[in-house]
Amino acid sequence: MKRAILSCNGLDKPEGSVAREVAIRAAGATGGEIVCPVLLNRAPARYKKLLGENSLIVVDGCSTRCASKVAAQVAARVDRKILVSDAVKASGRPLDSTLNLGAGGLVLAQTIVDELVRNLNTPATTPEPATVFEQPTEFLTVTHDKFEFRIPVVDYLFNENDVWVRVSDDVARVGISDYMQQKLTDISYFDPPKADGTVQQFGELGSLESSKAVFEVISPASGTVASVNPAVIANPGLINEDPYGGGWLVEMNLTNWSQDLELLIDPAAYAEVVKRKAEEE
Amino acid sequence: MSDTTFMGVPRVKIPWFPTINYEKCNFCMECDTFCPHHVFERREGDHKLVVASPNHCVVFCRACSKTCGPDALSFPSKPEIIALIKQIRDGEAAK
Repeated sequence: MKRAILSCNGLDKPEGSVAREVAIRAAGATGGEIVCPVLLNRAPARYKKLLGENSLIVVDGCSTRCASKVAAQVAARVDRKILVSDAVKASGRPLDSTLNLGAGGLVLAQTIVDELVRNLNTPATTPEPATVFEQPTEFLTVTHDKFEFRIPVVDYLFNENDVWVRVSDDVARVGISDYMQQKLTDISYFDPPKADGTVQQFGELGSLESSKAVFEVISPASGTVASVNPAVIANPGLINEDPYGGGWLVEMNLTNWSQDLELLIDPAAYAEVVKRKAEEE
Repeated sequence: MSDTTFMGVPRVKIPWFPTINYEKCNFCMECDTFCPHHVFERREGDHKLVVASPNHCVVFCRACSKTCGPDALSFPSKPEIIALIKQIRDGEAAK
């Protein structure tokens, strides 16, 4: 598949300079076509065909995420996102403060591109689920104005950050609540946690983006990431359609479940939380 | 909102909110534009942005820091806050 590559301009920060370099090198390595963020913003029709036929790799320099915002404006289908400032932190080596890339910046750009190409060349595998999670059938409903928020009555536990967990055979499946998916509206991107990564309860388990907000998925349990839902990566809208079933986000192998339970709440208690939050909005 | 609780603990007893590093902040106001809970407030003077309503901040949420280009927002340690919440809950249970 051909890919389009959109990076930030890279004109006012060293991270932006790296983002620009990443885009150029990634285009060379993947045969992708570079999308100019200024032109996309000014005259989106120029890229309508390219973005209609291909998925997009977005390279942001810093957390202002200008490229991501431009991509969201034109409702582009985003396949991957790279945030250079995160890569800088992960490398443990701060960038030089000049806009002209030095040796360190060039090495970082190539490292990012190498990892991107490696990921693109690794076929997405869908492991056979070790555990079967039945679709919930019975729900509590919290009503506020014209909105209805559903909460499954059995099997699900919640944290107060609107993330659910259900457990079977020491495997936990995690997702966001119906209330949160309605609050976010159309979810356009799931940035998953690292496979095999270790997460503590209330640590970050990836993030979700919609045109309205960025939502940090706060882990309801401690454990290691066993798998990420490939269906949600391919179609984040599934989270809106079926937040408690097909729209699950991550499966984890639990490491501290008996203690994690102390800080989770049952569906009835979560219904009270939703009611309170809806009234406060 | 000041009388709300988080995990059964009064919100005002949980010191979870962003701190602005004014040496890094460029007052782009992205965080204020982003945060739906009105934690920040714009002011006149040198510090054009302040954390005016810290207790409006959703405990454990750090999403505003993801919008911060100059990386000027920081949060307390999650494990320390969890330990504090447990300690307060245990204290309440013992009463």
